[in-house]
Amino acid sequence: MEGAEVLERLNWRVVTIKESKSETPHAKTLVLDVPEWPGHKAGQHVDVRLTADDGYQAERSYSIASSPQAPDLELTVERLDDGEVSPYLTDEAREGDQFELRGPVGGYFVWEADSSRPLLLIAGGSGLVPLMSILRHHQETGSQADVRLLLSARTLEDVLYRAELEALRDKLAIRLTLTREAPPPEWNGFARRIDRAMLEAVGPGPESHPRVYVCGPTPFVEQAAELLVGIGYEPRTVHTERFGGA
Amino acid sequence: MHKDGNAIAGMLMEIFEVEMTTERRTCQSCGQANEIGAHLLYAGAGYVLRCPNCGDMAAAIATVPDAPRITMFGSWSVEPPAR
Amino acid sequence: MPPISRGFQGRRQTEVDPSRLPPGQYPTKDFPVLSAGPTPHTPLDEWSFSVAGAVGEAKSWTWEEFMDLPNELVTVDIHCVTKWSKFDTGWRGVPVERLLEGTEPWGTFVVAWCDGGYTTNLPLADVTDGKAWVAFEYEGEPLDPEHGGPARLLVPHLYFWKSAKWIRGINLADHDEPGFWEGYGYHNYGDPWKEQRYWND
Repeated sequence: MEGAEVLERLNWRVVTIKESKSETPHAKTLVLDVPEWPGHKAGQHVDVRLTADDGYQAERSYSIASSPQAPDLELTVERLDDGEVSPYLTDEAREGDQFELRGPVGGYFVWEADSSRPLLLIAGGSGLVPLMSILRHHQETGSQADVRLLLSARTLEDVLYRAELEALRDKLAIRLTLTREAPPPEWNGFARRIDRAMLEAVGPGPESHPRVYVCGPTPFVEQAAELLVGIGYEPRTVHTERFGGA
Repeated sequence: MHKDGNAIAGMLMEIFEVEMTTERRTCQSCGQANEIGAHLLYAGAGYVLRCPNCGDMAAAIATVPDAPRITMFGSWSVEPPAR
Repeated sequence: MPPISRGFQGRRQTEVDPSRLPPGQYPTKDFPVLSAGPTPHTPLDEWSFSVAGAVGEAKSWTWEEFMDLPNELVTVDIHCVTKWSKFDTGWRGVPVERLLEGTEPWGTFVVAWCDGGYTTNLPLADVTDGKAWVAFEYEGEPLDPEHGGPARLLVPHLYFWKSAKWIRGINLADHDEPGFWEGYGYHNYGDPWKEQRYWND
């Protein structure tokens, strides 16, 4: 990694919202204009900093939704009712607004297309965001790695990137489980919280030595990781990204 | 409740000027080696990173604005950036 | 000056008496949970509190004995070094000077030590004279483990990292010994009114 490239990623840069797209009633994707964006890897995140007119600042991290190949940097933000930053980004922020951004960072949660090992993606709610960047990257690079996604959401209405996932459903193993209603039959999904049986049905099995990525709210990630290790997946191959909590 | 070391990737990059989450640390207590990004992250006055295997301390970070300060435990191996 | 994000205010409580807000702080109605490690869960029948070290006579109490001590209700403002302040928080606790009674302390520094290994240091003068309590109830309910239950130190005039969660005792000494955060770059004393957050403040 070049020294100059590192310094670019270290600095806070001013970004402008080009477009705010509604994904679900509670989530928006912000398409950003980032001067001299150095590019990113699938799974990375950025730190976002907002400044109020009295100088008050709040900082949060958001996973990059767009693939490394996409023309614009995109972040998907889900509104947390008691959140400080997310309600601003989903309800108030509009085209032309600016904030500061640092990154991309987070090499630990990255998937690179030169990996041929099977890939198992487990998403809880908005934990789908970085995994979507990975899935999009997988598709855009023509990767032949066996890829499987299990998404857990409350209702069908909460499923991020629903149309895109529906389109991929026929060619890739994309499985859905809803916790508050049953998915429509065409999903061939589940209607319960994730459990061992579901992960055994969906995953390629530990003997195939997959790379596993789990992302979502902390309790979801902890439960999924524990179940995966219980099934026999090697803990060091299970990459976790816990959202929420402070 | 804790998060993952990966969540402070930005701050670690500010301190070390290198992406740290993929570097490995060998724990002084249990001897297991894990990526920094896999360590457990606690947020108190500052940040604490703990070994994902045994929970012992890997680092404490004082979040001094523009000059964060890290105290590290165990053996951290870091690959310097190519020049 | 970084760019202002138009329309961003955060979730701050806006009607607040500015004389109650230390410099650089922002008021909140939440009670964020901050911690340096996992929440310990010591059963009450294994819990004890002790006063030891540079004292003439060390003392200790079981939970039942501790509950028998006179305690008081206090309402205080608390200030976290991470910039949030919370006003009018209600606690029930035993004043620290009550715990020191009869111990004949000859040391003038205190280290509070806790389940999970956390420590913090304070001058003895900052935990006596109505300045500190060992608190076991918050807003009328038993103190939640996340917030330091069964009992935590409460020292509202200093940054809240000094209000050590899961406290099990105080050791007196004749010299000052930095505690956990003090040893890792935070201010040794921590007066929010002088904005003493870090070692170089």
